[in-house]
Amino acid sequence: MSETKNSFEAGVGSNALKTPERVVFITSKTSAQVKERADRQLMSYPQLILREVIAFEVLTIVLVIVALAWDAPLEQLANPLLTPNPAKAPWYFLGLQELLHYFPPLVAGIVIPTLVVVALVVIPYFNVNIKGEPLWAAYRSRRFLIFIVSVGLLLVFLGLYRAWTVLVPTVAIAGLTIVSFFQLKRPYRLISFLQTRPLSWWVMTWFIAVSLTLTVVGTFFRGPGWSWVWPWR
Amino acid sequence: MTDVLATAIAGRPEESERGEIGRRDFFNAIAAGAFGIAGLGSLVVTYRYLLPNALFEPSMNFRAGTPDLYPLDSVTYMPDQQVYIVRTGDGFYAVSAICTHLGCNTQWKPEAGLIACPCHGSKFKSDGTKVEGPAPRSLPHFSITLTPDGELLVDKLETIKPGQALRV
Amino acid sequence: MNTMTFEEILNRLRATRAWRSIFRRGPARTNRTRSLAIFGNVFLHLLPVKVREQSLRVRATYYLGTISFFMFVVLTLTGILLMFYYHPAVPQAYLDMKDLRFVVSNGVFLRNLHRVAAHVMVIAVFWHMFHVFYRGGYRPPHEFNWAVGVMLLLLTLLLSYTGYLLPWDQLAFWAITVGTNILSAAPFFGSQLRYLLLGGNLVGENALLRFYVLHCVILPLVAALLIGVHFWRIRKDGGLTLREDYERDKK
Repeated sequence: MSETKNSFEAGVGSNALKTPERVVFITSKTSAQVKERADRQLMSYPQLILREVIAFEVLTIVLVIVALAWDAPLEQLANPLLTPNPAKAPWYFLGLQELLHYFPPLVAGIVIPTLVVVALVVIPYFNVNIKGEPLWAAYRSRRFLIFIVSVGLLLVFLGLYRAWTVLVPTVAIAGLTIVSFFQLKRPYRLISFLQTRPLSWWVMTWFIAVSLTLTVVGTFFRGPGWSWVWPWR
Repeated sequence: MTDVLATAIAGRPEESERGEIGRRDFFNAIAAGAFGIAGLGSLVVTYRYLLPNALFEPSMNFRAGTPDLYPLDSVTYMPDQQVYIVRTGDGFYAVSAICTHLGCNTQWKPEAGLIACPCHGSKFKSDGTKVEGPAPRSLPHFSITLTPDGELLVDKLETIKPGQALRV
Repeated sequence: MNTMTFEEILNRLRATRAWRSIFRRGPARTNRTRSLAIFGNVFLHLLPVKVREQSLRVRATYYLGTISFFMFVVLTLTGILLMFYYHPAVPQAYLDMKDLRFVVSNGVFLRNLHRVAAHVMVIAVFWHMFHVFYRGGYRPPHEFNWAVGVMLLLLTLLLSYTGYLLPWDQLAFWAITVGTNILSAAPFFGSQLRYLLLGGNLVGENALLRFYVLHCVILPLVAALLIGVHFWRIRKDGGLTLREDYERDKK
């Protein structure tokens, strides 16, 4: 270790609100790993606290207005002998209920939700593609083949169960993925955006598209006997 | 601090290196075992506590009146009991009215001749056989007998194979 | 008596011994006392003393996590107030709902507030998760905090679902009947689990009481604990992940 006498001297500033300059000493056997962060740091108190208080006030006002304008529903006294038609779960479970319409309870009610939760928890523990490399950046033809085969199998499976409300958003997202595969000379901004997206982005977008479709269908488009109805009729 | 903890848990290194069980290892093992057993025991006791022994639920068997109340080839819904009493040329049988899918109450649709579930659209024939929909099984049949004073008695705790009918 | 300005009153209050025993610092006029305001406070010490300017922008987070947390606070406060007029019994629970609407002053407003906040919380938590995912906030070193977040999402759904039974109306009864029957489709332990949750074979008095205890005691406690861990880990993991960080790391 070469002991050069450093030329830095600790200074004493007089401005108590100024963010101090940081000086890093790197000895010869270590390597510098700090990434450049040019943006300013602010004191949490009062900058963050103040913003949160304002957010809280705005939210409270909105909540109070909605609570004054809208009444929470209350139906008849619970009657175990009379099933309302249709009997619907809370809205955030209607996607699940829509799945239950197509698949056996073990698959739709247990296997799929468990898989989703497990997948969400383990995603970050597999450092797959941590850099967010676009899906079609490398091994283009092989990845395209794998993609087509797996999506095709999924669509056949969904078709066999006649799960149309799952199939339609799946086809839409798969279509966008395929569109982003082809390199156009002058792509639209949306397509050039899609071309930079990694696989994880596509999977999450597909998941959101499917759950959103199922929830909306379950909430607005299902009537007696879980049959299809148009909400405006 | 972590070193102290590691030593407390694993024992001093020289003891375990010699392949002997040191005093510290021994007491650590005993303590861990005691904690484990006590924890497991409290879990089991709590679990058992949470399972109710006495239930205040409706009785599972009921009298369905005399056989002549039911016309031939009819399906009668017993709304208080969630059971259909079916009379065919072969005799009487009792079919559950609770959908095997997710426990909604089904309804008899005489115009279609089908039992339909309002929740997820399952449909069954009048003998409980599944026709369509997400229900995993057909509707079960309950044991039906004749009491000495000539009334039908349905026991919802006892399911029987379909195809058996009570001749009166 | 001469009039004092608000600041003078505040300053005089700050000089009192009682105040100084609680807040062991002077007015927050320097960076030192502003730091002390954060880590000298048992609640605020979960927050970092400094935050990046970019992470305070609305577009960075849309304040979705903050909104979720505030909804939890609102739900706790309104929920505690609602508990004063609620009996978890059949059919008294339903009659209490009627009382809240027609007899209790502002009862219907409190119930509405509780319901609206519950809906907003579910939406905010979902949106928060998707937003964090899209800006790569799950990547190391945030992986544990992401897992805690998934737990909090599940807890939010469970809280909302257990609360759904409490009014004991037709909507509540059948939603819970259908939902708990999904549970019995689980292999091996499914019907056991349903029996345990409902305290019987049917959705009845036992089920109502169990859902009440889960909704008012067990789940909020666990959620509050995990929310604390979640906030604290943001600081420990080096602050929020911004979209800019993610895009830069890709290069």
